Parts: sequence; structure tokens; C-alpha cells
Amino acid sequence: MKVFKKIGLFLLIVFVCIQFIPTNRNQSTEILDTDITKTFKVPQNIQTLLNESCYDCHSNNTKYPWYNKIQPVSFLLERDINQGKKELNFSELGGYSNRRQKSKLKSLMSQVKDDKMPIASYGLMHSNAKLSESEKKEIIDWATTLRDNLK
Amino acid sequence: MNKTIYVIAFAILFLTAFKDEKKQDESNKIYIEEIKNHHNDGHGSMVNNLSENTTKAASIQNQSSTSEIIDAYLQLKNALTEDNEKKAAEAGNAILTAFSNFNISQLTEDQHKEYVEIVENAKEQAEHIVKSPIDHQREHFEVLSTDIKDLIALLGIETGTTLYETFCSMYNNHTGAMWLSETEEIKNPFYGSKMLTCGKVQKQIN
Repeated sequence: MKVFKKIGLFLLIVFVCIQFIPTNRNQSTEILDTDITKTFKVPQNIQTLLNESCYDCHSNNTKYPWYNKIQPVSFLLERDINQGKKELNFSELGGYSNRRQKSKLKSLMSQVKDDKMPIASYGLMHSNAKLSESEKKEIIDWATTLRDNLK
Repeated sequence: MNKTIYVIAFAILFLTAFKDEKKQDESNKIYIEEIKNHHNDGHGSMVNNLSENTTKAASIQNQSSTSEIIDAYLQLKNALTEDNEKKAAEAGNAILTAFSNFNISQLTEDQHKEYVEIVENAKEQAEHIVKSPIDHQREHFEVLSTDIKDLIALLGIETGTTLYETFCSMYNNHTGAMWLSETEEIKNPFYGSKMLTCGKVQKQIN
């Protein structure tokens, strides 16, 4: 029994200590000139889907969940957001070359079509994020038109 | 005793939870600065100083460097025709190496901008090819093929080399996709052994 108590206490101390690990917050109210909405037409229905399913990890503005400031959650979130923004950042997409925009849109369509995005772990905590078949089609059709117009 | 520890623990938890947040705005500003600097960087003036003679000499050197890029691309293409994910990943690395070996300072100002755009995109594809399963490698190979084709249109290939622009009309739900091959014989990198001979030569590049 004493051993359990010691282990519990040890874990508690570890838990408290890791709270001091600093993390950066991905939040910005500023809309950059390179934002997708400044370069492309984003209809309201698509904007809603992007907001709910993509922007937390693929833009400069994350809507953090209430538990976000507790480690190790902060750390995991920060890692996912950095990784996500590296692959695709809607706040910067407008600044890319046409060539790069086209390949980003192609990857976007393929990820959505294959249900690779939004990732499953995100869907666990954000039940709205999961895209229905018709929502997937809306996004893919929209991205296809955008890409075809980029010649 | 124990109670005090718990109290302290939660007090700290609350304090850290409300600690100052480093806002994203700062890094945004840095990003914008970077873009601005990129547009008026000193590269243009450096290139302007090149005399015509050196530019001509440069284009010969470029050809040998594009051949390293093309070789690595063909290595990737052949790995995909063999359905070999591991070899394809290695070829992805070879492409990245070939790009970093390429001597960018030899380009003319006109070539420079397009080269940078092509390579930026192509590298991203190669990076994904290194770490992805084969179906994804093929998706990125499709994009990469267009990049390499445009790179050749921009810089040319070594004299005596012939490439074939080949098209498979089935890939991508019948939208079709292009690849470059060193042989006229069709070996399809998008389908591999599933449909090895699907495709036809559309153009010869010398």
C-alpha cells in the first residue's frame, strides 16, 4: 500500500513539473495578405467546413479546447499544429506560387477523399469535425474548380 | 503533509495554466518580412553581373546537373514500375541530393524565378515520397513528373539524351497522368505490375 502511495506521489510530482514546460500558442486575429480568402473565392458553406474541420491545425488561428493548457496535452497539440501547418497553412496558401498551390490542393483532395483528414484523434474530441460524404464532395468539388482555374 | 502537497500541486497547475501566452502575431510579422526580403533579395543583381560568355558556359554545366536530377527521377520511376516502395523512397532521397547539388548561381535572372518555384514544389513531393506508402508515392510522383518536365523545358537536357513523354489515360479516375521515361517501351509507374503496359508515348524530348 505504501508503495502505491509513493508511486502516486511520484507521478503527481512529475505531472506538476511538466506543467512548467512552455508551449507556443497558435493564435492570431490578424488576417494575412496571403490568406486563402484573399486570393480565392471561398463560399460560406466551404468556409464553415474549413473552420470546423481544418483551421485548428492548418491556419494561424487555433480554437483551443478547454484542457489545452494542461501538459502533456499542450505539448501534443503544439506538435500536431506545427506538423499540420507545415503540410498546409490556409493563412499562407495565397502567397504560394501557382504550381505549389495546385499541388497543395491536390494533396488536400486526396487526404479528404481517403478519410486521412481530419485525423482520427482530432475527431475524438471534435465531433463536428468529421466530414460526411456530402461534405467531402463539397470540398473536393470546390478544390477541383480552384485547381483547374490555376493554369 | 500529503494534503499540503496536493494543494501546492493544484495551485501551481492553475498558475501555469494562466501564464503569459506568446502570441502568433509576432511570428506572422517575421513571416511577412521574410516574404518581402525574398522578393527584393540580392540575387538578381548578382546574376546581372554575369557576362554572356559565362552564361553560355553555365548552360552547359546546368545540363550536366539537370542530368543528375533526371537520373534520380528515372530511378524513382523505375522503382515504382517495380512496385518497390523502399527503392522509391531511396530515389526520393537521391532527388533531394540532386537538387542540392545543382548550382543555382549559374542561372539567368529569368530562369531563376521559375527554377525556384519548380524546385520548391518538387522537393516537397520528394520529401513525401521518402516517407509515404506506395500509393501516396505515386500521387506525389505525378506532380513531380510535371515539375521535371517543366524543368527540362526551362533548362534543357544533355545532348544525346532522349526522353519520352508518356501518358496513361486511366490514372486518377480517367483524368490521366503523364510521366517521363528513358525508353519507348511502356512500363507504367502509376500502376506497376497491375497494369504495366497501360499508356502511350506522346512526345519525344531530345
